[in-house]
Amino acid sequence: MTTIRTAIAALALVALSATTAAAQAKDYGKGLTLKVKTPISAILKDPHAFHGKKVQVEGTIVEVCEERGCWIKIASDKQFESIRFKVEDGVITFPLDAKGKLALAEGVVEVNMLTKEQALAQAKEMHKERGTMAKFDPSKYTKDVMDVQIKGEGARVK
Amino acid sequence: MAASDDTGAPSPAGGARTRGIPWRRWNIAVHRDLGFLAAALTIAYAISGIAVNHIADWNPNYRVSKTFTTIAPVADTAAAAMIATTRERLQLADAPRSSFRPDPNTLQLFYKGTTYHVDLPTGKVMVEATVPRPVLFEMNQLHLNHAKRAWTWIADIYALALLLLAVTGLFVLKGRLGITGRGAWLTAAGLLPVVYWLVFLK
Repeated sequence: MTTIRTAIAALALVALSATTAAAQAKDYGKGLTLKVKTPISAILKDPHAFHGKKVQVEGTIVEVCEERGCWIKIASDKQFESIRFKVEDGVITFPLDAKGKLALAEGVVEVNMLTKEQALAQAKEMHKERGTMAKFDPSKYTKDVMDVQIKGEGARVK
Repeated sequence: MAASDDTGAPSPAGGARTRGIPWRRWNIAVHRDLGFLAAALTIAYAISGIAVNHIADWNPNYRVSKTFTTIAPVADTAAAAMIATTRERLQLADAPRSSFRPDPNTLQLFYKGTTYHVDLPTGKVMVEATVPRPVLFEMNQLHLNHAKRAWTWIADIYALALLLLAVTGLFVLKGRLGITGRGAWLTAAGLLPVVYWLVFLK
């Protein structure tokens, strides 16, 4: 009987530790190294100035890749803006329940020009994945677009 | 009935005592005991492996449901006022974890496990609920080593155990059914998927 009681107490302690740990910040990938944060709005305002540079950004996670957790979208400090933080498949996996949490993330800014066909294909895929309310409108994609993202190395989510 | 030595285990030579290390007896013992030890993790990893293998077709970790409802249109005012109005109309007692406006017409409210996407001009709301799949979520966490730290070592030891299981398995039987007979053909057949990958998929 004493053994059973001890086992139950030990399990309760483990469960309590797990709950406490879950409430804390969680690190993904490499540790954060930069001391200065770059506003996402500054990157989106002049992406070419940041191309190839390592930055640290902070913001609310507003979207998570539903299939693999291989990217998150981080809200900008400016309204209606966000940036995609893409990580290598399988190296970092963001959980879906990270949505709405605060992310401090580090990586290298990538600026790519997408042809209208590539942009259309990417938007179609995102629309399918997100299942948003709005109907997909392919007529919006009439010219080449600039795609800005951060190639993610590490993040802290809390 | 097979003859046995002084430990009670069957003698490999069918009665005749052999000198030196009884390597086949040890091989069988290692294979048997590792088999017991690795059974639980092998089952968990196999189930998780199938689940994760089809990640393009489904989300093996979460069940995501999207339902729709409609509230009265929400006026485009200050963020706090819009959140308060939306909460009242959706009858949400708790404050959201955070909120976001991806575009001028949309307000998103983030709660633990649920996101509300509100189309402000029409009042149409998409309720996106995310629930971890019971057991499978935990199996996938272990299989993909999300825990890191000590689990990396445990997974390494388990992989080493699987390696030993495979190698010792080759030498459990001897004779016609062993590695010098039927076993050789079956072992070679086990290489066919690798050959197929090298020739057609690589």
